[in-house]
Amino acid sequence: MDLFLQFLVNGLVTGSFYALSALGLTLIFGLMRVVNFAHGEMYMLGGILGWFVTARLGLDFFSGLVAVAVIMATFGWLVDRVLIERVRDQGEEPGILLTIGLSIFLANTALLLVGTAPQKIEGPVGNQLVMLGPIVTTELRLFAVATCALLILAAHLVVRKTKLGSAMRATFQDPMAARLAGIKIERVYASTFALGCTLAALAGMLLGSIYSAQVSIGGLISLKAFVVVILGGMGSFAGAILGGLILGVAESMWGGYVSTGLVDIVGFSIVIATLLFKPYGLFSTRSERA
Amino acid sequence: MRNILSVPLAAVALFGSAAAYSQETIKIGLVQPLTGSVAYNGQADLNGSKLAVEERNKAGGVLGKKVELVVEDGQCKPANSVNATEKLIQKDKVVALSGAFCSSATAAIMPVAERYKMPLITGVSSKADLTEKGNKYFFRAAETDALLSRAFAKILANDLKLKSVAYVGVNDDWGRGGVEEFSNDLSAAGVKTAAKEYFDHGVTDFYTLLTKVRASGADAIFVAAETQDGSILVKQIKELGLKMRVFGVGSWATPDFIKLAGPAAEGIYAAVPYVSTYESPRNVEFVKNYTAAYKEPPGKYGNAGYNALNIMMDAIARAGSTDSEKIREALHKTDYNAPNGNYKFTDKGQAYGFSLVLVQIKDQSPKVVASTSVDAPK
Repeated sequence: MDLFLQFLVNGLVTGSFYALSALGLTLIFGLMRVVNFAHGEMYMLGGILGWFVTARLGLDFFSGLVAVAVIMATFGWLVDRVLIERVRDQGEEPGILLTIGLSIFLANTALLLVGTAPQKIEGPVGNQLVMLGPIVTTELRLFAVATCALLILAAHLVVRKTKLGSAMRATFQDPMAARLAGIKIERVYASTFALGCTLAALAGMLLGSIYSAQVSIGGLISLKAFVVVILGGMGSFAGAILGGLILGVAESMWGGYVSTGLVDIVGFSIVIATLLFKPYGLFSTRSERA
Repeated sequence: MRNILSVPLAAVALFGSAAAYSQETIKIGLVQPLTGSVAYNGQADLNGSKLAVEERNKAGGVLGKKVELVVEDGQCKPANSVNATEKLIQKDKVVALSGAFCSSATAAIMPVAERYKMPLITGVSSKADLTEKGNKYFFRAAETDALLSRAFAKILANDLKLKSVAYVGVNDDWGRGGVEEFSNDLSAAGVKTAAKEYFDHGVTDFYTLLTKVRASGADAIFVAAETQDGSILVKQIKELGLKMRVFGVGSWATPDFIKLAGPAAEGIYAAVPYVSTYESPRNVEFVKNYTAAYKEPPGKYGNAGYNALNIMMDAIARAGSTDSEKIREALHKTDYNAPNGNYKFTDKGQAYGFSLVLVQIKDQSPKVVASTSVDAPK
């Protein structure tokens, strides 16, 4: 039983990390209909930048987090205005090709500048053990889970409660009507993409402090994020959270009771099962898919 | 503009055709993973290889010509490594090959080398059956898991007094091979096998796996992993408060591993074919030159690349030509004095004679605990 609880907690912790990593992807897809294959690279850039501003420029973790958010929001804004703007309203394929190209470009540029060595980001709290009854975890992980929850909540509030959020949702429902109502939809698109990139980058820095920040991580992150988004339903916040937790716990249980060597089979099985039985995911934000 | 261009063109016309021009250097092809999850170690091999070539060129090159290293990224994937090898042979016209790091990638390029009768040396790939395939152009200047495990089983069982061990390996042929060999040899020496677990390349969270290891009641954990995966794993072993001895194979005693794992690296044991603190005159000189070139002491793979290229260049020099059959014969006569002992090859192309060391990391530096040399395999 103790073992089961430990597996459950391990799964919930990694699950909340998966949820945060997938949030930016689901946001960009749900609101902009752009399938962002460069998502994992945004996560990677967050980790690498986080290492750069803390280890090289000497900022503390939280100032570093703010700096990364500002840089990546600007970067996301520019990517949308300069690149994605040009393929908007041309269907999904040009956007897919564009973001695949962008992901290759970003990964290799980072490889050139930073190199292949994994980098260490100093966490804001120590790595002391925390015993919750029979369950073991660390302070840093609890801190990261709390930060994940805060970031998810903050993103939710931005989309639901602010004027920008209303404009985003209006643009998503009907770009023409939104434009007629005086919404500058170019700005809305750019801020949505910026928000998605920022979330991915913050996840990258936060998790970089627990694991390590490395240039080649992008593909793996994209893969897991797509599993979460397909399971949860494209564009759904609740779906991303639940999808992340389900994936985390399923992987942990599979690893714990079946085989740690075949853990990736879990994600792919979930994707296949979801597409067969519930093709719009657990919480789809619209009934038909483009 | 046309005039400026015509000068080098005229020079080529004067001194012979472009094909003759390319004969000015002896080209050796190197296939290593330079992107992907083992890129970091592939880069180290490349650094060692480059250093060997630079030193050789400074000393006059081979057969009176400069040696040129042509590098391709095989990503440790069989398909990419084969493409890289085909390109090196057909387009670059290399005379010999070194590569391709991961055993699975090396196994894939071996038939290509055989088809083109191209001598191929690996300083890294350790899967036992590579030298059992009857490929007479293939040479391995590295220990196999079996040789490593046989050499170390006694030391580990007697000196570390292990009772029961949990084995953890990366989920590929190298990791699985390492776990199998060590568990067999240690069982033979009377050490119980508590658990065997595998994980995929690039995984970052080992809590589930380590929870199982803790529940298994082992008093030591054996790990077959490279720098990136291994450092995260070791950190999480300490995070979870597992009071077990940790020992492993892979790129463990390197400065980067120690830096990444931080205090968690203290006290762990590594069975390695090379460590920069190994004391021999040849190694002291190698470490000095490597450190001057790359601002860090060499690790296992820097040394592996250095040795592989030196052995190959020695063979070309001994062969007296770039004819592949002659190079192959010369490789069999190898008697190479490496930073880590002396390399010779068996008839099957397996190296022996060189040293292996067991190190323990203390005060952020690998200290040699015991050393042993590799016997010729039977």
